[in-house]
Amino acid sequence: MKTQYSDVVAEYLREVDLRLAGLPVLQRRELLADLAAHIETERAERHLRGEAELIEVLERLGSPEVVARAAYEEAGPLPPIVAPPSPPLPPMVTAMPPRERAPWVLPVIGAGFVALLVMMALCAGFFALTRGAEPTTPDVAPITAAPTAVEAPPAPTPSYTG
Amino acid sequence: MSDVGQLATSLRRGTLEFCVLAMVEFEDRYGTEIVRRFGDEPGLAASEGTIYPLLSRLRRVGWLDSKWAESPSGPPRRYYGLTAAGRAALEHFRTEWVSFRQTVDRLVGTGEAA
Repeated sequence: MKTQYSDVVAEYLREVDLRLAGLPVLQRRELLADLAAHIETERAERHLRGEAELIEVLERLGSPEVVARAAYEEAGPLPPIVAPPSPPLPPMVTAMPPRERAPWVLPVIGAGFVALLVMMALCAGFFALTRGAEPTTPDVAPITAAPTAVEAPPAPTPSYTG
Repeated sequence: MSDVGQLATSLRRGTLEFCVLAMVEFEDRYGTEIVRRFGDEPGLAASEGTIYPLLSRLRRVGWLDSKWAESPSGPPRRYYGLTAAGRAALEHFRTEWVSFRQTVDRLVGTGEAA
């Protein structure tokens, strides 16, 4: 019986793990350990017997997609020392699940981050210039331009069609 | 996603973590205990599994600390407690929240009838 429970749980944890490839390894392990402990605790303290009851516990936890998405959202502003919390992560998350893509996820996130920093530096410089030259002109063009430029990095991701 | 779900998500963002902090304000609680408590409250957590990444972040920013301890009735439990920084953050939130809530009530017309 116990192995039967474990099958369901192990499969669930594996499905979550597969979706966490872009997270720092320690956070990934921590979450899996927390989930495993939660399931074990529920099983022991609620005296669950039978796969159905265990599946209920897993359903309350949420689908692997939902749990993984939360993990990415909470990990979003992870390096707060480097940049203010304008996370380039969320758009990536939806593109995450396929395992084959995992290897280039981090580089892409990194690239997005660097691009963001560059953009902000440029904007700051630009504002400093305009403010110095012409304080009264509220030239907001750079602000509206920034978001589209920030979103640009994900676009050039390699599209191997065929 | 429905508008209702979207609204709940938006409202949760930025407030849920302080509900977590308040939950461990006076005594340490273990993960499953916190998760169950949220499950009892309508519309607070999207699903139980999303609480753990939140706990992780609160620990990483130094508002919570955690320690594993043996349990009398099951596997080891991970207990979470409020740090001094977490306590300060919770107090700050309380002040901000009251004035925020009053403003929204006034503008939206959800306050007590004067």
